[in-house]
Amino acid sequence: MNAVEIKNLSKSFGSKQAVRGLDMTVPMGAIYGFIGENGSGKSTTEKMICGLIPKSSGSIRLYGKDNTDANVRAKLGVLIESPGCFPELSVWDNMMLQAENLSLPDAKKQVISILKTVRMEGAASNKYKNCSLGMKQRVGIAMALLGNPYLLVLDEPLNGLDADGMRIMREVFTDIVKDGNRSIIVSSHLLGELQKVATHYGIIRHGRMIREMTAQELDASCRTYTALQAKDMSRAKLLLNSKYSRVEVDEAGYIRVYDPVPPEAVVTYLYENGVIVTEIMTEKIGLEEYYIDLMKGGN
Amino acid sequence: MNNRLRFPEYTFGKRLISMFRVDFRRMFKSPLFYILIACALLIPVVMNVMMSMMDGSVSVDPQTGVETIIHGPENVWQSIGTLPTAQGAAMGGMDVMSMCNINMMFMLVAVFVCLFICADFRSGYAKNLFTVRARKGEYVVSKTLAGFICGAFMLAFYFIGAIIGGAVSGLSFEMLGFTAVNLVLCMIAKLFLMLVFVAIFVLVSVIAKQKSWLAICGSLGGGMLLFMMVSMITPLNSGLMNVFLCIAGGVLFSLCLGVFSRLVLNKTRLV
Repeated sequence: MNAVEIKNLSKSFGSKQAVRGLDMTVPMGAIYGFIGENGSGKSTTEKMICGLIPKSSGSIRLYGKDNTDANVRAKLGVLIESPGCFPELSVWDNMMLQAENLSLPDAKKQVISILKTVRMEGAASNKYKNCSLGMKQRVGIAMALLGNPYLLVLDEPLNGLDADGMRIMREVFTDIVKDGNRSIIVSSHLLGELQKVATHYGIIRHGRMIREMTAQELDASCRTYTALQAKDMSRAKLLLNSKYSRVEVDEAGYIRVYDPVPPEAVVTYLYENGVIVTEIMTEKIGLEEYYIDLMKGGN
Repeated sequence: MNNRLRFPEYTFGKRLISMFRVDFRRMFKSPLFYILIACALLIPVVMNVMMSMMDGSVSVDPQTGVETIIHGPENVWQSIGTLPTAQGAAMGGMDVMSMCNINMMFMLVAVFVCLFICADFRSGYAKNLFTVRARKGEYVVSKTLAGFICGAFMLAFYFIGAIIGGAVSGLSFEMLGFTAVNLVLCMIAKLFLMLVFVAIFVLVSVIAKQKSWLAICGSLGGGMLLFMMVSMITPLNSGLMNVFLCIAGGVLFSLCLGVFSRLVLNKTRLV
């Protein structure tokens, strides 16, 4: 049984079709990285999973049951777009409201424990409206975690978090799924961060799922490239461009050769043409490059 | 592996209670609730005192020179209701006092219901709420009850304010044409009639969602259609029949409009 099984899901807003025949499978125990451009239909799909907007057609099954099943829905945690908190209430009151909403028997204990997990125990008495962006995001995640949900749906949960916050969230996510039953759907544009935790990926474009894969499959399909620095960078780039099909300069100033050639062949070629290579390495492309490649390649 | 996952099987009653707890926690933490209660308390005090001070004064129309004698309240209970009988004609006329009495609370409660419900959608809390609540009926019932309780508080505080205002301004407490029992029944009838209004306001608010201005305008407009009925159905000499009519109307309206509200929530996007 899968945590989420979506078949042929569609959603239209008037004449605009936001999701078109989307299929999606989130196995139990997965951290599912849900990736796509702005407006590709990620949030709409997530909202339909949570029953926040009615679907136009298709089926959504959570743990083998329809997503309208009240008992299944009671075990969902959500953070979509922004944490749903009342600005004039304190962090504590907002958390307690959600605890009441979930009918938690030991509400206070759970709220204290989760606020500790997201390192917000010291700010519990702060009014929500006075919290910083990162603190608000932590509160949103804490609210989603209340009641030990079986499925967490998180839309851009890492936005506004500092480095420590992101590390904590990675630990929390990994901890949640370690029993193999709970699952998390995370959509984020911070692909580097996502790659550190995701076990499965779904890439959506124009409302359609264009690829679903495991982290291992991604790793296998990520090509290696040669990155180098030379004494005469402009001449080196010119020479490499004339010989290889894809040569780019990255943000750190390294020339990347994506063609499948051994690094020594690149060094020899440049040396023969009077360019000295000062540094060379081979690396694998990450999720970000893979995603960009996929988007450039069209559907 | 999945055998270890146990989904809670909450009954409708349990889910409803948890929804009540959410709403009542919010209501009693909300400054709006206390502001409206304070208004309900102060309005009759100020009105009774000011109108008593103006009693007997003459206003002259600067254009025509016509003199008009301003009549203040004669009785504390004018703030609570009117009498349809000939005996109580002086109290039951359509003057300022009969329009601006406790029945105003039926419209003022619209502000609370609309802002209370719209805040759920504006703050985004509706996402947290409806993600774990597949059935919208409990939301509608709870919001109707919260509005009803707020309305009950407002009626009670207005009643207290009317007595304080009457005492301060030295008005008569004499009951002409009705008894204390009638007065109690009148208040009970008004209380249950509040359900009709709250059900309308809940429906308008779930349609308007985060647009609180639309919710308030729509609610006041919708409520205005029934507003004139309040003084007719709940006169000061109300009997058991008035109470029964108000209970029946309240239950019927809240059930029918509640079904519509639920339908709106099921068929429209919640965020």
